[in-house]
Amino acid sequence: MSAAPTVTLAGTEMDYHSLNAMLNLYGPDGGIQFEKDREAAHQYFRQHVNQNTVFFHDLDEKLDYLVENDYYEPEVLERYDRAFVRSLFEFAYSKKFRFDTFLGAFKYYTSYTLKTFDGKRYLERFEDRVCMVALTLAAGAEQFALDIVEEIISGRLQPATPTFLNAGKKQRGEPVSCFLLRIEDNMESIARGINSALQLSKRGGGVALLLSNVREHGAPIKKIQNQSSGVIPVMKLLEDSFSYANQLGARQGAGAVYLNAHHPDIMRFLDTKRENADEKIRIKTLSLGVVIPDVTFELAKKNEDMYLFSPYDVERIYGVPFADISVTEKYQEMVDDARITKTKINARHFFQTLAELQFESGYPYIMFEDTVNRANPVAGKVTHSNLCSEILQVSTPSTYADDLSYEHVGRDISCNLGSLNIAKAMDSPDLAKTVDVAIRALTAVADQTSIDSVPSIRRANDLGHAIGLGQMNLHGYLARERVHYGSEAGLDFTNIYFYTIAYHAVAASNRLAIERGTRFHNFEASKYASGEYFDKYTDKEWAPRTSEVADLFARSGVHVPTQEDWRALKASVQEHGLYNQNLQAVPPTGSISYINNSTSSIHPVAAKVEIRKEGKIGRVYYPAPYLTNDNLEYYDDAYEIGWKKIIDTYAEATQHVDQGLSLTLFFKDTATTREVNQAQIYAWRKGIKTLYYIRVRQMALEGTEVENCVSCML
Amino acid sequence: MSPTGKLKLIDRVQAINWNRVPDEKDAEVWDRLTGNFWLPEKVPVSNDIPSWHTLTEEEKTLTMRVFTGLTLLDTIQGTVGAVSLIPDAITPHEEAVYTNIAFMESVHAKSYSSIFSTLCSTQDIDEAFRWSEENENLQRKAEIVMKYYKGDSPLKRKVASTLLESFLFYSGFYLPMYWSSRAKLTNTADVIRLIIRDEAVHGYYIGYKYQKGLEKLSEAERDELKGYTFELLFELYDNEVQYTEDLYDGVGLTEDVKKFLRYNANKALMNLGYEALFPKDETDVNPAILSALSPNADENHDFFSGSGSSYVIGKAVHTEDDDWDF
Repeated sequence: MSAAPTVTLAGTEMDYHSLNAMLNLYGPDGGIQFEKDREAAHQYFRQHVNQNTVFFHDLDEKLDYLVENDYYEPEVLERYDRAFVRSLFEFAYSKKFRFDTFLGAFKYYTSYTLKTFDGKRYLERFEDRVCMVALTLAAGAEQFALDIVEEIISGRLQPATPTFLNAGKKQRGEPVSCFLLRIEDNMESIARGINSALQLSKRGGGVALLLSNVREHGAPIKKIQNQSSGVIPVMKLLEDSFSYANQLGARQGAGAVYLNAHHPDIMRFLDTKRENADEKIRIKTLSLGVVIPDVTFELAKKNEDMYLFSPYDVERIYGVPFADISVTEKYQEMVDDARITKTKINARHFFQTLAELQFESGYPYIMFEDTVNRANPVAGKVTHSNLCSEILQVSTPSTYADDLSYEHVGRDISCNLGSLNIAKAMDSPDLAKTVDVAIRALTAVADQTSIDSVPSIRRANDLGHAIGLGQMNLHGYLARERVHYGSEAGLDFTNIYFYTIAYHAVAASNRLAIERGTRFHNFEASKYASGEYFDKYTDKEWAPRTSEVADLFARSGVHVPTQEDWRALKASVQEHGLYNQNLQAVPPTGSISYINNSTSSIHPVAAKVEIRKEGKIGRVYYPAPYLTNDNLEYYDDAYEIGWKKIIDTYAEATQHVDQGLSLTLFFKDTATTREVNQAQIYAWRKGIKTLYYIRVRQMALEGTEVENCVSCML
Repeated sequence: MSPTGKLKLIDRVQAINWNRVPDEKDAEVWDRLTGNFWLPEKVPVSNDIPSWHTLTEEEKTLTMRVFTGLTLLDTIQGTVGAVSLIPDAITPHEEAVYTNIAFMESVHAKSYSSIFSTLCSTQDIDEAFRWSEENENLQRKAEIVMKYYKGDSPLKRKVASTLLESFLFYSGFYLPMYWSSRAKLTNTADVIRLIIRDEAVHGYYIGYKYQKGLEKLSEAERDELKGYTFELLFELYDNEVQYTEDLYDGVGLTEDVKKFLRYNANKALMNLGYEALFPKDETDVNPAILSALSPNADENHDFFSGSGSSYVIGKAVHTEDDDWDF
C-alpha cells in the first residue's frame, strides 16, 4: 500500500498523519484537539482509502469477481442463497458504521481488510469484512449469520484478530489466536516443538512452549555427567524459528517460553534479557514467562534459600515430567531426596532479579502455578500459559517413536478468542443473547478448525472445543458513566459484570451440549460435573454492593442472575454437561480495541491520548474512548492509578473467569524493584492468576520536554 | 617534572564523594543518564528489513547518507567533544557526568553502524561514507565544531557542544521520525528515540553548566559570549541549510526540515539561557515530527514488533520482612 502522500504542509491541506499527530499537541485554547483526529479520519478516506478502493457496480459483481479471482472461498458463499447474502450485506450497510478514530480506520485498512494481490488496492469495506466473518462462522445458518453481523457491527462483539482477519478469505492463515505446546525432556520432543512452532507461526498464531521439563545445563546425557547444555540453546533455536516464519507470514511470528522458578537454569533463563547480555545468549524477540508455585513465596517470606531441582532426576524418580508434579506439594520431599541433584539460590534474591529484569525489558510474565490449578475447573494440570498469559488449560505429554512419528498423541492447547465491548454489551437490548451469539461464534471457530500439522493440538481441540471469551473497554465504560476506575463502585461493577457474564457463558455452553448431545471430553471429572464450581454462586447471594452500580444495571435493563438461576443452571449442567472445556479468557486486546473504539482489556488507559507504536502502522495517536475536554478527570492513566487498584479490579473479575486475564502492571520510572516485588506479592495474595508485562514510563527531565505536548503533561 | 625528577601525572587525586554533591543537578543528571543506559543490540533492527525494501532507491540513499552524517557527529562528540569538556569540569561529579556522556556518544556512533550493517550491503555503506567524506557542507560542519572544541575557552566549548547536541543532530533525526510516522523502519526509530532521549539530556546539562559559568563573569564578558554564540549559530545555521538541501531536495522534504532546524536552534538557545531567534511561524514543525520528538519514554508499543524505547535500568532495592507479611 502506498504510504501517505508526501507531506503537504502549511499552505495546502494537512495530511492525515499530521492531523492525527495534532491530538498530541494542545490547541490554541489549551484543550485537546479531538476534532483534528476526526478530521484525520475523514481525510484518510478522502485522500487515501476512497481513491484506492476497487469499484464494483453491485454486490453480485463484487462477490463473483472475488470468488473467481481466488480472493474469497467459494464454499463460504455456496452454503447460502444469494438473495439472503444480498439482504445480509444490505442489513450491515444499513447500520451506517463509521470509525470513531483515525487509528481505528487506519488499523483496519492497514491490517485487516482484503487487498488486491499486489497489496495496492482495497477490496473490502468494514461492512464486507463483518459479513464474510458472519457467513463463514454461521456455515449456512441464516439466522445465526444475521445475529453475528448484528453483534459485530453494533460493536458489542469483536472477534480476535486471526478470526476477523482471515475468515472467508481464500489465501489465509488459521482463525485461531493462540497455541501452547509442551516440550518434554528428549530430542524428539524438542525437534517436534521447533517444527510445530514453525508450522503454527506460518499459520499466524502466537505460540508458547513449556521448557520446564527440559534437563538443565550440565545434566547428564545417557548417564554421562556434564553433557546437557540446558534450556538456553533451545530458546535460541526457537527465537530463530519464529523470526524465520515471520518473514513469510502476513502476521508477525511470535513466541513465548515458560520455565518453572525451581528449574536449575532459571537465573540463566532470566539473564538472557539483561541489557548487557552477551550476544550468544541474548534473547531479543522471544517472550519469557516464569511459573511460580506458592512455596517460592513461603521461602521468600522466611528469607530462605530456594532449591532448584534437576528435571532429569525428578522425572526418573516420580515417573512424570517435572511440570506435572506440584513443586509446592513435593518440595520438602524433593529437598530430602538425595537422588535429586539440586542447587540453591536465595528466594528474595530471585524475586529481586525478576523485578530488575522487568524494569529493563518488561519480561518475564508470571504464572502463579498453585492459584491457577486451584481455580481450574477441569481435570488435569495447567503447566504454563501463552504469549498473552490469559490461556490456562490442561495439557498432557506426547511420546514419539524412533522414526519420529507419534507413539502417543498427547494434548496440547489452542484457543479461539473474541471480546465483548463492555460499554456496548451493557447497552445491549439482550445481554444473554449477546453472550450466547459470542459463545457460538467462538465455538464455530473451534468446530471449523483442524490443525493437521500439529496432531496434539488437533486432538485437544476435537476433545475440548476450548474457547476464550474476553472483555474490553472497562475503563471506557466506567468513565462514560462517570465512575472512577478502581473506586468502590468501579470494583463493584467489575465483580457483578463478570459474575453475570460467567452465568450466561456457562448457560450458552450448556445449551450447545443439549443441542448437540455432546459434552467436552472428561466432563465427568470436572468441577462442573461435581457441582463444586457452582457452590460459591448457590451458597451466597451476589448482588451490587453500591447503589450506583445497582442503578447502572437497572438502567441498562441487565438482569443480575440470582441464586435460583444458578441452581437451575447447575442442575442442567450436571445433567447435560458443557460443550466447551474452557469458556473465558481475557486477552490484552491491542489491535481489535482500536478498531472497536475500546480501551484495552480491563486495564486503565495507558494515557488520555495514547501514543501507539507498531511495526505495521508506525507511531500513531489514539484518544481514549468517550474522552472529551469535559470529563478528563475520569481518565487517570494506568501510571497514575497505580498497581493496587489495577490488581483489585482484576481480582474482582478473576473469580468469575475459568482461564486467565492479561494483567499488565504500570510503573513510573521512580519505582524500585522493591515496589515491583510488593505488587507481585499483593497480586499473588489477591488470587491473581498471571501477570503479563511490566510497563515503565519515564517522563522527560524537566527542561527537556517538547512544548505544548499532551503526553508531556500530567 | 617534579624536582625529584619523577614523572608526575597530576597534583593530587580527590576521591569522588557522591554523598556530598555541591550541585544537585549533577546527581540528578547522573541518575538519569545511568538509568537510561542501553546498547543497540537490544533493539531488533532486523525486523525493519522488509520495511527497508519498500523504500525507493532515492529514499534508501537519503537514509544512509543521513546516518553517515550522524555517525560523523557522534564520533566527534564521543572522541573529542565531550572529552574536551572533562578538564573544564569544576567538580568531580561534573567530570563523571561528562565521562558518561562521552561513553554514550560512542554507543550512539556504534548504533548507526549496527543499523547500517543490518539493513544495507557493505558496498552501499562504503558509498554512503564516501559521500559524507566528500560532502562539503558536512565536512564544513565538522570543521567548525572541531575548531571550537580546540579553542581555549571552556565556556565556548560548552556553547559548541550544546549547539551540536541540541541543534546539529536534528537535521538527521528528522528522517527516522518521519519514517516512523509513516510506519517505516520503526525499530530503527526506536534506536533513534533512545539516542534523542540521551541527547536531550546532554544538551540540557551542558547548557546548564554554561549558564552556571556565566554567573561568574562580568557584564562585558557575558555580552561577548552571547555575541559569540549567535555568531556561531548563524554560521552553523547557514551551513546546515545547505546541508539539508543536499540531503532532502530529492524527496521534497527540505522546507519541512528547515522549520525543524529553526525549531531546534531555538531549543539550543533556550538550553544556553538565551531567547529564541526564530519567530513561531517559522518553526511550525510538522505535528507528526514534533509529537514524535518528545523525549518522554511513554510509547505504548506492541511488544511483538519491537522492544520499545521506554525501558530503563531499575533501581534495585531489597524487599524487607514487612513486604512478605502474609
